[in-house]
Amino acid sequence: MQPPMRLTVNGRAAEVSPEPGERLLTTVTERLHLTGTKFGCGHGECGACSVLVDGRLTYACLALTEACDGAAVTTVEGLATGETLAPLQRAFIAHDAAQCGYCTPGQLIAATRLLERNANPTENEIKVGMSGNLCRCGTYPKIITAIQAVARGEFAAPAR
Amino acid sequence: MPRKKASPAPRKGFIKTIVEVEGRTETRVVEIPAFEPTPWGPDTALETVGTRAVRVDAGEKVTGQAKYTADIARPGMLHAIILRSWVARGTLVSVDVDAARKIRGVIDVIGPGDAPAKTRLFPRKVTYAGQPIAAVCAESLHAVTAGIRALRAKIETAPFAATFEAATAPDAPLVRSKGNVAEGSPVVNARGNLARGLARADVVIEREYRTPVQLHSAIEPHGAVAEWQGDQLVVWESTQGIFRTREQLAEGLELPQSRVRVIKQYMGGGFGAKNGAGPHTFVAAIFARRTGRPVRCVNSRKAEQSDSGNRPATTQRVTIGAKRNGTLTAISLSADIPLGVGGWEGGPGQLYHELYACPNVRTEETFAYVNASAMQAFRAPGYAEGAFALEGAINALAAKLGMDPLALRRRNYAKTDPRKKRPWSGNALLECYEQAAARFGWDTRDSRRGPAASRAQVRRGFGMAAQIWPTGGGPPAYAHVRINADASIDLLTGTQDLGTGARTILSQVVADAMGARLSDVHTVIGDTGSLPYTGNSWGSMTTPSVAPAARMAAEDARRMLLDAAAPMLGVPLGKLETRNSTVCVRGTDRSMTFAEVTKELGDVMIIGRGTRGPNPLDVSVATFGAQFAEVEVDTRTGVVRVVRIVAAHDAGRILNPTLAESQLEGGIIQGLGYGMFEERVLDPATGLQLNPDLHDYRIPTIADTPVIDAFCVGQADAAANHTGARGLAEPPIIPTAPAIAAAVADAIGAELHEIPLTPWRVLAAAGEV
Repeated sequence: MQPPMRLTVNGRAAEVSPEPGERLLTTVTERLHLTGTKFGCGHGECGACSVLVDGRLTYACLALTEACDGAAVTTVEGLATGETLAPLQRAFIAHDAAQCGYCTPGQLIAATRLLERNANPTENEIKVGMSGNLCRCGTYPKIITAIQAVARGEFAAPAR
Repeated sequence: MPRKKASPAPRKGFIKTIVEVEGRTETRVVEIPAFEPTPWGPDTALETVGTRAVRVDAGEKVTGQAKYTADIARPGMLHAIILRSWVARGTLVSVDVDAARKIRGVIDVIGPGDAPAKTRLFPRKVTYAGQPIAAVCAESLHAVTAGIRALRAKIETAPFAATFEAATAPDAPLVRSKGNVAEGSPVVNARGNLARGLARADVVIEREYRTPVQLHSAIEPHGAVAEWQGDQLVVWESTQGIFRTREQLAEGLELPQSRVRVIKQYMGGGFGAKNGAGPHTFVAAIFARRTGRPVRCVNSRKAEQSDSGNRPATTQRVTIGAKRNGTLTAISLSADIPLGVGGWEGGPGQLYHELYACPNVRTEETFAYVNASAMQAFRAPGYAEGAFALEGAINALAAKLGMDPLALRRRNYAKTDPRKKRPWSGNALLECYEQAAARFGWDTRDSRRGPAASRAQVRRGFGMAAQIWPTGGGPPAYAHVRINADASIDLLTGTQDLGTGARTILSQVVADAMGARLSDVHTVIGDTGSLPYTGNSWGSMTTPSVAPAARMAAEDARRMLLDAAAPMLGVPLGKLETRNSTVCVRGTDRSMTFAEVTKELGDVMIIGRGTRGPNPLDVSVATFGAQFAEVEVDTRTGVVRVVRIVAAHDAGRILNPTLAESQLEGGIIQGLGYGMFEERVLDPATGLQLNPDLHDYRIPTIADTPVIDAFCVGQADAAANHTGARGLAEPPIIPTAPAIAAAVADAIGAELHEIPLTPWRVLAAAGEV
């Protein structure tokens, strides 16, 4: 057993004792019970497990938990502020950008990072920025629409 | 005084009806409902149905609160992994479990002889690479992974046959003891006289087409969590069919169905691969019984891509004869379909009999078992494969005749069902052609043909294809609607929402049938323990099967509510109407909200019951569509970029246009993958899959997404069922690949006969390599 290490997950301090070689995906879902982050492939191919580690877009299935000691991790559960959904979450709902919803948490994390880096992306920049997140249902057109709507400020004010 | 007029008895009797599932026709005995609601025709004014209501479970999905199977964690839960064969054919000699059992955290190991016979798990005979041969369960994912690595299994290898040609060769290794050609093959269906039709033709074309094995590739792999609660087995399963999963578990484990409960609230895609209990389900259930603890078993991506179902490959030899004016005189197909070690005969042939009005059609399909993972239904099974070849040949015929491909299709439009020789319940295919062509700019495409400036090697091309798919749905499907004491309304029905939006559209239907606000309706699905039966969510059947049952249950509940409200309002029943969750006295301003009525009723619960009635036997029910594609082809590299797809489909009444468009876009993007990238590759020397992942097996990314203009035409189809809605989920995948292939052919001036359209295939067709 390793000595416990510290993470800040969605703004809250967490202490975990990962197995040697444990991936951040396992830590987040199995130890911290934040199951919004999804397993899709385990090999960095699909993006369903996308999280932010110190603000960087990261495939949690490829990140060693031990290498994240002291890091701030954001999962889909950390996107809303209390009961108020983030603009991207509201845009995904309004534009039907989630079908089965399984890849959606990863898509939202990737889109959050994209808009942090580039508040007003072109369609092509959205396609490049989101191309590491697969969706088999085919929500891509709606994801583009939703991100564009947020970039235009359409979801800036929280809906009642 | 209580009113005499109570709700009628739930049924009138039983009758035989015909239901079409995934292109197969089945006769079923079903009950005749006590009353059939008045059909919602094209002119029926509806409040909620037909609106772009937001998906009712979207909030849970965007916050990560929606619980999928792998998210279910039970106290004391163990993790299980299946060990799979690494050879294509042979005999499992031994599985040495000692080292695995010594790993810290490993609790149990099972292999040949440990599973109940009826589960057919872990046979000694290995018939494909990827076949389950043993399984380990342990306290953690870490330990179970170590345990699986420590298993030592010995397989004596034997010669294998992984292709149709190898399996049907003389002295081929036996995939199945009864022989490699499936019983009943070749399957021959014919109408008219093919030879006479060909003799009458002015023009005859012959082509051979090949389609690849396509993998479902749901982002959520198959998975199950099993737990014994007392003497009941509870299974959370990512499935398109909770009742079928229950039936298969009960059969495999020799349990009464009442002692098996299957739950599925959310699933991460199915597309036809998740239609029942799989090896992972049985492994979880068996370990749960042996250890007395809950067990989770989720496929690895490799297992998912190599042994969870696939669309089988086809070779299709097509001959078409036509008069000089384009009138088809003969269509002939001879097809070879390697199924894998199992599966069913969902071949490409049926489409050939349905899409065009041709008097002489003959199809001959030979299905063979090969040493590869078994096929399963994949979105429009058979029809997607068939459309690539038939529509390719129709486009080739148009070129040979010097006719516009759209004009050729219009000329051969089937006014009635040419296979069953009866009218369509509704058919707006001509409208699909017209509207999609107009939005695409089909008639003016030549003005956009020139290469983009500075990219002289890039050529632009345009193509189109059409689609038909039987989508009538049918019985049995049951629904209950109960009105709670606070007047909130529950729809209870044992169906599934795969991500299609079933929860949402069923709530919309109930809201309209009740005269209730959508926000007052809560749809409860996905639990065999408490909900009435409906069938699998396959064959685009959920909407046309379950929506009528939900509507009837809601109308039944509404009648009872009015029965209760009439004496409270002191007027006869006939004067009452409902809207906005309020009972109103017609022509007055007197009313009671539903909540005021239920408050008077106290804990008396109104429960309405609905069943899906028999199908009409005098009409054929199908969904139609046409798609137009625009591509750019780099003639130097062979790289194709799909620029734009315009799609028009007719599925009768559209219950929610936003959700319908999402289905269309999803089908088109999967069809684009089928046409452009997707192909399972088996190593001919070993029979092993070379691309069991999402990297080398490439599905479309957002960057591959063209501009998609997809929409629905047509109107409510009251002859199909009383909601007027037909199925829509599968149809859009059917014409995409052939439309893209036609556009590429148009760009390079040479036909494409095999998908996916990899750069080297495009270059080879263009004569560049």
